[in-house]
Amino acid sequence: MSKEELLALLGDAVADGDGDKAVDLAKEAFETGVDPMEVLNDGASKGLSIIGARYSSGDAYLPDLVGSGAAMSAVMDLIFAQTEGTASLDTQGVVIIGQSKGDIHDIGKNVVSALLAVNGFEVHDLGTDVSVKTFYEKALEHNADIIAMSSLLTTSLPFMDDMVRYVNDTGTRERFFCIVGGGPVTADFAESIGADGWGQSAFDCVELCKKLMARGNPGSGPTIKVDSQAEGRA
Amino acid sequence: MYDIKVQRVVQNLEKSYSGRIIPMHEWDNKIIPSTTKAILKKHGLQGTLDLENPINCDDSLADAFFKAGWELALELGFYCEDTERVIKVSEEELLESIRDYPDHIVLGEGQDAVTMYPRRPESTVEPLIEASLGIVCSEEIYLPLVQGIVKYPKLVDALHGPSLATVFGHTIRSGSPLETLAGHYESKLKHEALWRAGRPGMCCVGVNSAITEYGHLGGAAEVAGRGNVTQSLCPVEMKVTFSNFHRVLHGLNNGHKLRVGAFSYIGGFAGPPEGAALTCVANDLLVPVILQSDYTSSYVYDIQLFGNCGRKALWANSVSTQAISRNTGYMRNKIVNQTGGPCTEMFMLEAAVGLMNHCVSGASISTQPRSAGGRYTDYITPVECWWTGEVFKSCAGMTRVQANEIAKALLPRYEGDLPASDKGFSVYECYDLKTQRPLPQYQELYSRVRNELIDLGMPLNNVYGDTFAGMDKDVKLHMSL
Repeated sequence: MSKEELLALLGDAVADGDGDKAVDLAKEAFETGVDPMEVLNDGASKGLSIIGARYSSGDAYLPDLVGSGAAMSAVMDLIFAQTEGTASLDTQGVVIIGQSKGDIHDIGKNVVSALLAVNGFEVHDLGTDVSVKTFYEKALEHNADIIAMSSLLTTSLPFMDDMVRYVNDTGTRERFFCIVGGGPVTADFAESIGADGWGQSAFDCVELCKKLMARGNPGSGPTIKVDSQAEGRA
Repeated sequence: MYDIKVQRVVQNLEKSYSGRIIPMHEWDNKIIPSTTKAILKKHGLQGTLDLENPINCDDSLADAFFKAGWELALELGFYCEDTERVIKVSEEELLESIRDYPDHIVLGEGQDAVTMYPRRPESTVEPLIEASLGIVCSEEIYLPLVQGIVKYPKLVDALHGPSLATVFGHTIRSGSPLETLAGHYESKLKHEALWRAGRPGMCCVGVNSAITEYGHLGGAAEVAGRGNVTQSLCPVEMKVTFSNFHRVLHGLNNGHKLRVGAFSYIGGFAGPPEGAALTCVANDLLVPVILQSDYTSSYVYDIQLFGNCGRKALWANSVSTQAISRNTGYMRNKIVNQTGGPCTEMFMLEAAVGLMNHCVSGASISTQPRSAGGRYTDYITPVECWWTGEVFKSCAGMTRVQANEIAKALLPRYEGDLPASDKGFSVYECYDLKTQRPLPQYQELYSRVRNELIDLGMPLNNVYGDTFAGMDKDVKLHMSL
């Protein structure tokens, strides 16, 4: 099997969420002398692009995203071990994500979480009904770049405002991007509370995080609003 | 001393302490997807989605989904998030629940009481409407808005929403003490609005400013007994929390009927439309057993469209609703999630297609509307409530074949806009809360769309011959202080 074929199979295994197969193929690639970073960039990472496209077209579902993310993690662990920790794993950024206090409607947040993971972000998903203090403590613990809050409920929106004010009042606003999203969360609301960003859809949220990481300087610029559907309409 | 339902709820709570332990991540990402997929395959249901015929007309397919859903319900049960254990049910429990289920439910009291019946597909029995969904409105317009929503007894049968944005000017936060206060406050405002509208005995459903059990606890006693309803909504997929049990027990403590829902998401853990339809059937079978609901409120939602008026969700809702309607006497609340806002053709068409689908598939009641996806404060007017009532009730007696043809004619007019719908106008921009009438542009839109749909074959003049003129002849005494 040629190197190209091997890496293509590895990408397919990651896309299919077959972690065992992906690890076996990665090991085979190492044994045949393929550079670990090639295994990552030309093999496993391609699988993430494939699953992202499948989800976008409605041919894959939330568990498929999660499965691909897990397969990718397994391959990353192997690459890290192979390079004795010297490989640059190049995460896009560290994201703390969760559903605002009082809200247990987490399916949209789960999609965002999985899409961020398959797009190279290190994601710490705190689940549902998460207090402002927990968001903050976990952000400190994981040295996060982004605090992402989601809500489907209007009565959980005020906690987003509380979050932004909390990082302001603790003097740590410049450490964390605060982004918001979910059913009733509008771009205007995000701007009104001083959030760094807002995304209309799960895919928009991934783009938002990439834009923020490229911009840098949390809490300093205008609210970035990503709404690909609106852009399409325009 | 206590309703038998209390004993059964307690038994299921006990199961939540003794069932199999499973990490939630595994339940969500492995057990639900793999079991759903395996049962779909076993019953030959993979690939049955029919985008060309969004309203299912095939009885055998509905029955096959029922059998598969029965199997899924028995194999999985519900997952209790708080204890990370599975609450399983036996076949005897499922059968007993169906056997003991009532043949009607009375909501409300006195002259405002209404009766809900089980409906089979294509039933001629008129279904009921609860209005509105919990769309947030400003505190200062809560009374006149609700007064308008319940204005026409023929169109709106029970009062559900809207939700309050503030209580005494203070922002309501979920789970905070203000939510407890808001629950009580909202219930008092509802009483007042119903009295002003001349419908004091109308059924109140839930406390819509209540997200956690605190709000329900605050409001349940204020609307105790007299045919009122407590609602409890479970997390996706096939899960339950102690908060659900809290609300159910609050309801039983206060003599309420119980409306309990568990949703299924296309694109979520259950996967494709067929998977979501299957879990929806299982939810409708499990909820009456585990949470002792008087009627269920489970339906399919499309996660990529933020609603359920696209072809995939229409089909999944039709086949799953028919599965239960054809094989049990369960009464079910089936919701349409519109994405278009007030005073838009988009909203009216989404509502028409979605409610026609639920009606001919056998839903007994629907909670409506979710104008503009429920995203914007004050984007709700009484007119959307009236429209949904007129459509839902008028379609009683239509055949699924007729409905499918109308859906196929209407879908191309709005489905392209589903991912980015027009939010329409706020109540201030298209409705007069003093006269309780739509502003001219909304009245014109309503009449135009209504006439177009009548021409297409939707019998909207079943309830009122002419629209607003007919309605005005039938309005109850308007009482105000």
